[in-house]
Amino acid sequence: MDLIIANSLSKRFGGIVALDRVEFSARAGEVHALLGENGAGKSTFIQILSGALRHDDGAILLDGQDYRPADPDAARARGIAAVFQELSLIPDLTVEQNIWFRQEPLTSFGTANRSEIRRRTLELFAKYHFPTLRPDLEVSRLSLAERQIVEIAKALAKQPRVLILDEATSALPAREAEWLLRLTRQLAAQGLLVIFISHRMAEVRAVADRLTIFRNGRTIAMHESSAVGDAEIVSQMIGRNLGRLYPERISTATGRVALKVSSFSSGNRLKNVEFDLLEGEVLGVGGLQGHGQRELFQALFGASKATGSIELWGKPAAISSPRAALTGRDGIALVPEDRRGQGLLLAKSVRENLTLAVIRRFTENGLLNGRKEAALVGEMVDFLRIKTRTPEQLAGTLSGGNQQKVIFGKMLLTEARVLLLYDPTRGVDVGTKGEIFQLMRDLAAKGYAILFHSSDMEELVHVADRVLVMRNGRVAATLAGERISEEGILSAAILESEAA
Amino acid sequence: MRAFLARNRLILLAYLGMLLLLLITALFSPGFLSASNLRSTVVLAAFVGIVALGQTFVIIGGGIDLSVPWVLNSAAVVMALLCAGQNMPLLWVAPLMLAGGALVGFINGLGVAQFGVPPIIMTLAANVILQGLILVLTGGSPSPTAPDLIKFLSVGRVGGIPVIALIWLALALVATVLLSKAAFGRHLYALGSSPTVAEFSGVPTARTTVLTYVISGLTASLAGMLLTGYSGQAYLGMGDSYLFTSVAAVAIGGASILGGSGHYLGTVAGALVLTILTGLLPALNLSSGALLVVYGAVILVTVSIGSEAFAGLGSSLWNRKSREA
Amino acid sequence: MSVTIEQAQAGIESRSGADWRGWVLDRAPFVVACIMLAVIIAIYGSYQSGVFTLDELNLDTAAAMTLMLAGTGQTIVLMRGGIDLSIGGMISLGTVIAATRFTDDPGTVLLWSSAILALGLGIGALNGLLISLLKLQPFLVTLATWSILGGVAMIILPTDGGSVPGWWLGFGYLELLGLSSPVWMLLGLLLFWWWFRSTRIGITIQATGSNEKSAFLSGVSITRVNVLTYGLSGLFAAGAALYLTTQTGAGSPTIGKDYILPSVAAAVIGGVSLFGGRGHLAGTLIGAFILTLIGNLVFVLKVSSYWQPVASGVILLLSVLASSIAEKAARGRGA
Repeated sequence: MDLIIANSLSKRFGGIVALDRVEFSARAGEVHALLGENGAGKSTFIQILSGALRHDDGAILLDGQDYRPADPDAARARGIAAVFQELSLIPDLTVEQNIWFRQEPLTSFGTANRSEIRRRTLELFAKYHFPTLRPDLEVSRLSLAERQIVEIAKALAKQPRVLILDEATSALPAREAEWLLRLTRQLAAQGLLVIFISHRMAEVRAVADRLTIFRNGRTIAMHESSAVGDAEIVSQMIGRNLGRLYPERISTATGRVALKVSSFSSGNRLKNVEFDLLEGEVLGVGGLQGHGQRELFQALFGASKATGSIELWGKPAAISSPRAALTGRDGIALVPEDRRGQGLLLAKSVRENLTLAVIRRFTENGLLNGRKEAALVGEMVDFLRIKTRTPEQLAGTLSGGNQQKVIFGKMLLTEARVLLLYDPTRGVDVGTKGEIFQLMRDLAAKGYAILFHSSDMEELVHVADRVLVMRNGRVAATLAGERISEEGILSAAILESEAA
Repeated sequence: MRAFLARNRLILLAYLGMLLLLLITALFSPGFLSASNLRSTVVLAAFVGIVALGQTFVIIGGGIDLSVPWVLNSAAVVMALLCAGQNMPLLWVAPLMLAGGALVGFINGLGVAQFGVPPIIMTLAANVILQGLILVLTGGSPSPTAPDLIKFLSVGRVGGIPVIALIWLALALVATVLLSKAAFGRHLYALGSSPTVAEFSGVPTARTTVLTYVISGLTASLAGMLLTGYSGQAYLGMGDSYLFTSVAAVAIGGASILGGSGHYLGTVAGALVLTILTGLLPALNLSSGALLVVYGAVILVTVSIGSEAFAGLGSSLWNRKSREA
Repeated sequence: MSVTIEQAQAGIESRSGADWRGWVLDRAPFVVACIMLAVIIAIYGSYQSGVFTLDELNLDTAAAMTLMLAGTGQTIVLMRGGIDLSIGGMISLGTVIAATRFTDDPGTVLLWSSAILALGLGIGALNGLLISLLKLQPFLVTLATWSILGGVAMIILPTDGGSVPGWWLGFGYLELLGLSSPVWMLLGLLLFWWWFRSTRIGITIQATGSNEKSAFLSGVSITRVNVLTYGLSGLFAAGAALYLTTQTGAGSPTIGKDYILPSVAAAVIGGVSLFGGRGHLAGTLIGAFILTLIGNLVFVLKVSSYWQPVASGVILLLSVLASSIAEKAARGRGA
């Protein structure tokens, strides 16, 4: 009898189907890997398992009994603990306080029993051979990797029967990652079920007994790990997605360098990045999430600090802030990752959002010329086909695709000809995706230079002229022409052997 | 039209509340709607309104200015001392006082925008420091009487209309232009709505923040000088009540204390509501204690209407109403 | 690879130099406050004899105790990441109720004292409930309840006055082992804090102030935390009111406002973060001592007492600047 069985599990967010009749089963005592591209439905699935989301249809059986947790507490009570990428630690509490938060052993005065907490913490650390970690340090003073380790300890402190590790190794340096792999084997040997999500093929190979592959919200296959080859796994993860329209890719790149980046570094997330972006080119930036793409885009836009040099249209540029980046025709504009947190004023109108970056252009003698503003706003709304009742509609009430178009419009109005697009199609419906790709090609043809990151490799393959593949904060490979393929990108991003 | 109504719902509600209050007051005390009574109400509201102008800008930008009481008081006291009852010195004293207020605002803004000091602490510190300095300066004794010109500006009339009402009107006009018709206003609302989005859109966030506190310093010191005319002389503690009333006027006027929304026109209604309440309660035979209770209740009710918890409910009611209409 | 518990323990006890630096940086505001207090006491002591006696300690603590009690509540609220302006109204209300209802009969005094404390707890809990249910900012909610409570106080007693029994006034002069009752209260507050911050409730309040989302993800009920936090603040404000009547012997409908911002200032000077999650009551108590002793200092230095607010404002600014600089240094170290 399997410990967890999911039957025909479905989950929708509005009109988007995240999980489509997913089948899954895993037994106690195994490490079960969950594989799939970004957006394949893995994280929705484990959020349902851990009680953060509730499924719409289908059923989950835990130990043969119906399982539908109301919240994470309920999931924990049934013995399921998850370690998410998004951490749930309290910065101002110490490591041990975090591990035992809300289940502290108490003294007879009702206070947390510190010596007992310390004893149990050390016992936990020793039992699972945790890397050296001071239990009395505040979490705010730990590195990302150390926090990840604390999060794992916090999950283990609940003595779960099922432990879910979502990309838990991605933040860890090599030695700690190895420890975690040994830990998963140790836990499985003790009879736990470990559901293991990782993009690193070598790791999956090292620990998983079995693996389930998701694609587009569906279960594609389940394999015994020993009975399947890398090539087959990769091709099942990618599949063949038909029915999406990509514009024809006609290269419009000229020889002129629009953006020259050299020895560009930022903290330890971005190391010595170098590349040229040409006028009329769409340059893709790919790789697994969290390998420096975000830092690259933010730093180029002046939103975070970096060292190294940037040349714009042949002239050195000092970009210390977004304000310094948005300097008109010779500037750099960014369509940011976080549409709601960085891109849009949700409670303001489409008009106010569109003209925010260039509002001074509409002033005459210090007064705004509303007619001039309205005219340009109208033009932009028409040009981008933004579906809005009136330009006065609040940006927050638009659909995701149209919100994204408003951000595009805001940046196009700045007239900057170097555009940084960070995952511009995330959460955007298929129709609008097509429009955005067409727009990118059109802009390139007009002489814009576009740096384009997408978490969906397929988009890079079909839209970009060249693709930079990033790994560990460096450009691991630059693919062009025939070499741009999902296999090519994935190989350069995952398979360590091809790193050199 | 409908979009306009929906967007300015809270401001309109503030005016609606004000009219309702006037009506109630007229019912209980028929003399209240006399010209002289209305005039004195407007004069009193003007002082609150002028102080609250700067407070409105600061709050829309996502901050708060607790230093208004003693910026106001400082301007009043120093002005009275320097003028010694004469009109002529005002020529240089008045600009000097305004510059002083602006300087305090500038320092406040710098502390907040550049050094990351929480607005509450920065402006609180500025307030007590000014308080002490003024006490030291005056030795605690009251100052000479106000110059006649200042008296004229605060209690005089032109064609039956209080001069200060005209000043207030002019300031309201300037504030409205700044908020609705200038690039600065757009930047300010963006800053208060989301500093990150504003930053990512190239808005000069630090400069905008500093400017709001400068404006607040300016209006507080202007109000201080005018208030001296109203009471005949400057006295210590004359600004104390304006911290509460300026913030309350902004809140009643429909601005979110978190920033990003509101308008000075709403604050004007807020200032009037607070002042009418002050006049209403004696008519109802209620004490000043009851006035404070009513103040608190009015703030709670108005901010609740504006809160997220009611936003959905409110707008759905509004939509239903406008559909039925 | 395998580490025994003993080895791990040994590793923990040997702090490296870098760790010490971080530890000090984290507590920089508190350390700065201690230094400031020491300097103030040193100057005070060099101008005035008898500063380092128990009598002086008894006197100063008695003078600072109202602010300390109010500051204790405020500290809890600040740890939660909120602010409570309503303590001004609560303190006023507490004093006027006491001054109008207390009689010579200890039973009556006990009854009304309990009523005042219960009222503080209840009003505070109501603040917390309003903040959670109406999704309102603590600043506005407590601004409104401050006004309401102050108004009620004014209705009960329009001007300063009323009286309390003589034996009630003697409370501050009770001595045990040479220490006056306010000093014992001070020790009691520290003991309370030492206990409270290690209870599950205390940890949860701190955690919620540190990162509300993480706390929520860990299963904390935010409404419950708010009710408890503001309830405790109201309770301490009521306690401050009762203590204040032992000092003044009368009720005042306006006296409470003198404690609102100073209570925040005392906490901030003592290193409590306005953003929640960080701080210690010892810091607030030191901050309250500093704010009180500045008055003594101004007196012995024979400068105008009007310099007192200037000094407290400057000290407040220095404290926040110190903590913001230390925070930057700590962050720079972490990256």
